[in-house]
Amino acid sequence: MIKINNLNFGYSKGQLLFKNLSMQLQNGHIYGLLGKNGAGKSTLLKNMAGLVYAESGTLDVLGHHPAKREPELLAQICFIPEEFYLPSVKIDAFVKANAAFYPNFDHPYFTALLAEFDIPVKQKLINMSYGQKKKVIIAFGLATQAKLVIMDEPTNGLDIPSKAQFRKIMASALTEDRCIIISTHQVRDLDNLIDTVIMLDENSVALKASVDEITDKLCFKRVKEIDETVIYAEQSLAGYNAVMPNYHQEDSKLDMELLFNAVLAEKNKLKPIFN
Amino acid sequence: MNNTFNITRFGLLLKRQWLEFGKIYLISLLVALGVIIAFYGIALWDVLALHETFQHSDLTFREPLFLIFGFLFITVIASTYFAHLGQKPKAIIELMIPASTFEKFIAGIFFTGILSTVCYLFLFYITDLVFISKLQSIVKNVSAEETKQLDYLHKYVDVMPSFAYVVPLFFTSIFLLGSIYFNKFHYIKTAVAAMIFTGIWTYIVVKTGELLMEGRIPVEQHKLNWSEQTAFNLITLLLLVLTFIFWAITYVRLKEKEV
Repeated sequence: MIKINNLNFGYSKGQLLFKNLSMQLQNGHIYGLLGKNGAGKSTLLKNMAGLVYAESGTLDVLGHHPAKREPELLAQICFIPEEFYLPSVKIDAFVKANAAFYPNFDHPYFTALLAEFDIPVKQKLINMSYGQKKKVIIAFGLATQAKLVIMDEPTNGLDIPSKAQFRKIMASALTEDRCIIISTHQVRDLDNLIDTVIMLDENSVALKASVDEITDKLCFKRVKEIDETVIYAEQSLAGYNAVMPNYHQEDSKLDMELLFNAVLAEKNKLKPIFN
Repeated sequence: MNNTFNITRFGLLLKRQWLEFGKIYLISLLVALGVIIAFYGIALWDVLALHETFQHSDLTFREPLFLIFGFLFITVIASTYFAHLGQKPKAIIELMIPASTFEKFIAGIFFTGILSTVCYLFLFYITDLVFISKLQSIVKNVSAEETKQLDYLHKYVDVMPSFAYVVPLFFTSIFLLGSIYFNKFHYIKTAVAAMIFTGIWTYIVVKTGELLMEGRIPVEQHKLNWSEQTAFNLITLLLLVLTFIFWAITYVRLKEKEV
């Protein structure tokens, strides 16, 4: 679905944010894009959506070059930005003006999503809270039936029940021909939702692995003492939360925050495990 | 699917843009109507309301009002059209709409170069028609020819039709370019940039002319037998070329717009 090959991108000449970044994303997956502030999560998403232009390298999205901004591709991309704007109209008018651009727009599904998110449909978009607006734009984006769903910090501004609703809706929105990419720094919001983790660090992809692959190769557990097998550990109340190689094929639950910190702190120890 | 131009998609885009800008557009038209009515009302108040004697000078405001306010109206509309692309959240939504860059650009020309001019002409004509009709019904000692509706406009269109049509497109093309070129204070910045460019251009032309001609005398008397019409046609052609250049730059800026 998405093929990125030797992508070089920078906002200013000489200062590259991505250096020879390469990866492939397949349909039927929910990718979680993680990284420190300024690592380039939003920029990578914008590259995929054709909102910025790379200096060199190739980027193929559904067989199109996104920078050309062809309507055929744009109709297959649902981009939910972190900061967004909605006009001063009611939902009906918004849908009437925009839905027709998406040939597969599913009106009943949109209505169902609005009901699930408990959105006051008669209210003008401008008078809604930030969280409500975000839910409307998420519902609209999913109802477009776009094959590529790109979300930048989608849970920002959502209250606790809405985050749970969001996870449920996103899980049900995944189909075999759809690819969902969610960028966030609130990793707990993506718990049990994403199936593949992509971590950006130092101008490139520091880790790209499925949750199954990670838990196959690494074990996340609480230990009382740190020994030489521990790759990375953080002190907790009852000892240490540790990441270690999964030599004995133990079942453990992926702790994304711990993994994220481990990747940043012990990149060299983790690289051989995933290569 | 044609990824450059599709008439159905273009229609959808016009509809969407109207939803986005329509309210502001209508408010602008109402403001324009109010200003035009205010000018006519103030100028003709003594004659229409107080039944004082009509003087020919009472109607001399029409031409400058039409030209100056018309220029301001169409250029302000043009300078706001792509202005929202300077704001990240609005730009993302706008650029992600599944319509081609060409369609978005043509929609911009339609709203700024065509619709705003037509609306302004319509508003001005209607206001003029109402006030002049009223004036004709009250003032009996004035010939119909003297108070003919928009006579001064017909004068322009009759003498130099192509020129009259190109001028609004030319001015709106400059301000449309300014709306996408600058991120803030579009109107002021465009006006200042246009003045600076015009100044530089004039300076270069004058200085070049001086350098080439100063101290020289013509050895042959070649007289240009250009009629007024030919001169207008040449100016029209120049404005048309400049308009297309400004539109081309606007299109490229829109195509290369990054968020």
